[in-house]
Amino acid sequence: MTARAESVARPPALRADLATVRVLVRRAANEILRVPGAAIPGVLAPTIFFVGLTAVFSGLTALRGFDTDTYQSFIVPISLLQGAGFTGAAAGVNLARDIEQGWFDRLLVSPAPRPVLLAGMVASASLRSLIPATFLLAIGFAIGVGWPGLDGLVLALAFVMATGAVAACWGVMIALRFRTQSAAPLMQSGMFVLVLTTTAYAPLDVLQGWLADIARLNPLTQVVEAIRSGFVTGSVSWADAGQGALAVAALLAVLGAIALYQLNRTGRR
Amino acid sequence: MPAIEVTGLEREFEGGIRAVDGVDLEVAAGGIYAFLGPNGAGKTTTVRMLTTLLRPTGGSARVAGHEVIAEAAAVRRSIGVALQEAALDPLMTGRELIALQATLHGLGGGEGRRRGGALLERVGLSGAADRRVGTYSGGMRRRLDLAAALVHEPRVLFLDEPTTGLDPVSRKAIWEEVAALNREGATVFLTTQYLEEADRLADRVGIIARGRIVAEGTPGSLKAEVGHPHLEIGLAEGSIERAEGIGAAFGRLQPARDGKVLVELEGGATQVARVVRALDDAGLAVESLELVEPTLDDVFVAKTGEHIEAGASGEPAAAPAAADGEGSARA
Repeated sequence: MTARAESVARPPALRADLATVRVLVRRAANEILRVPGAAIPGVLAPTIFFVGLTAVFSGLTALRGFDTDTYQSFIVPISLLQGAGFTGAAAGVNLARDIEQGWFDRLLVSPAPRPVLLAGMVASASLRSLIPATFLLAIGFAIGVGWPGLDGLVLALAFVMATGAVAACWGVMIALRFRTQSAAPLMQSGMFVLVLTTTAYAPLDVLQGWLADIARLNPLTQVVEAIRSGFVTGSVSWADAGQGALAVAALLAVLGAIALYQLNRTGRR
Repeated sequence: MPAIEVTGLEREFEGGIRAVDGVDLEVAAGGIYAFLGPNGAGKTTTVRMLTTLLRPTGGSARVAGHEVIAEAAAVRRSIGVALQEAALDPLMTGRELIALQATLHGLGGGEGRRRGGALLERVGLSGAADRRVGTYSGGMRRRLDLAAALVHEPRVLFLDEPTTGLDPVSRKAIWEEVAALNREGATVFLTTQYLEEADRLADRVGIIARGRIVAEGTPGSLKAEVGHPHLEIGLAEGSIERAEGIGAAFGRLQPARDGKVLVELEGGATQVARVVRALDDAGLAVESLELVEPTLDDVFVAKTGEHIEAGASGEPAAAPAAADGEGSARA
């Protein structure tokens, strides 16, 4: 104990930062591995929506604007994004818990840069969003969702992870603002509204009034359409994929910047 | 260079609540400084500012030579922190927690594992290292938290109420570890509401009440400020009046209590033997003798007119005989 902090040999900064992200992801994974029930809400809710809506509204594909006659292929993208939204926003709930229990202070008092701490939380959520996606796709393919091709599948999973990251930034932002798990409904409902006010259950041509206006403006609509093209047509529309990528990148940039701003301001109030 | 320098430190929260109101203090490198005060006095708020968790709203503070706002990252590299509620993830094992802490401080995997293993051994948790923290007792959690705070070998160690809620055995184990760390060169800043803890561990004590430091100095000098030790004499047989006459030669008589003679020894504890000899020479049989030192609670009372909450002290107001030769000595 005689050697003191400044004499410690340290790995290069980038390697140390990546190692920090890795340990934060591993800690988040502990919750899934050691308390598997923690993953159930993020899996169950979108699956129930998916199966239930497919059963009730399968006849909608007869309307104009639907490019498929299997409603489950049409709505599977929205269920995937719902799962990502729930799971991602749970990062905010977990952060609020960590703030309340004092664990977050352990991170804040360490020399790890704030953007690295945020990256750890977001990366954890992004990876966790693959759990409901895997479950949903297994159910979906079993009940007739069209095969999107390998590239379509990879693209869908990439968008799921990106949406999980967006939701995590939103959740972190709310958690840092309110610093209590009582804000969990706001974290979850925010993503719920963002996902549902897209072309979630019907094409843009079929939507009317305020919902059509909002869906047109909602950047997540681009993501939904990008994923949907693979499941509905069996091949990826790279034009839609590009627009979707731009939209999700913009969301990530804006919400990530706000979350980081909030993180840097921690301790001022 | 002092390890901690604080000038006019202030923290006002939303709503105008001033938790810390112009604190000045200096902690020498290699010292143990105890910040003593009741709940809500401003101890934790001060620690949170010194550890960069909370931004001061006034004044300045330097820790390990670095300014806490402008050089926050450098401060964080130099300090170890164990906060009031041991912030541990119950799902992780002790070994995983230490490894995570090492990584947060930029230590490579091998180095982190080596130091983690040594620290777990040091705090007596090797056998429980692969158990989940959720199964640990309160004392084990505190020791793990302490080990985690040490993994990067900090120059300055902040311990916020490190023994609150612990049983006496666990408390003693933490005290021994803190003293050992200090002997190895770490500067320790600890907050406590336990009088005995401050008295026993610290070489300087700051007493805080309502956000202000009301007294500061070595435990001995603070207690000396509020008076001399009292000698309480119980007689087996003989006249109390005669005993009072003898006692008066050594200091001011205090009103008798429970049939015992009470003398404030102006010459301090060194006069006890002379008093006993004088009583013996006068043929008075002494049944009991108790030397009652002023306590830090007496200092607190003298400065604020209030006691440190009785429930918080955890110990009788008089320090026990075992505490560094001070406190009560029974004959």
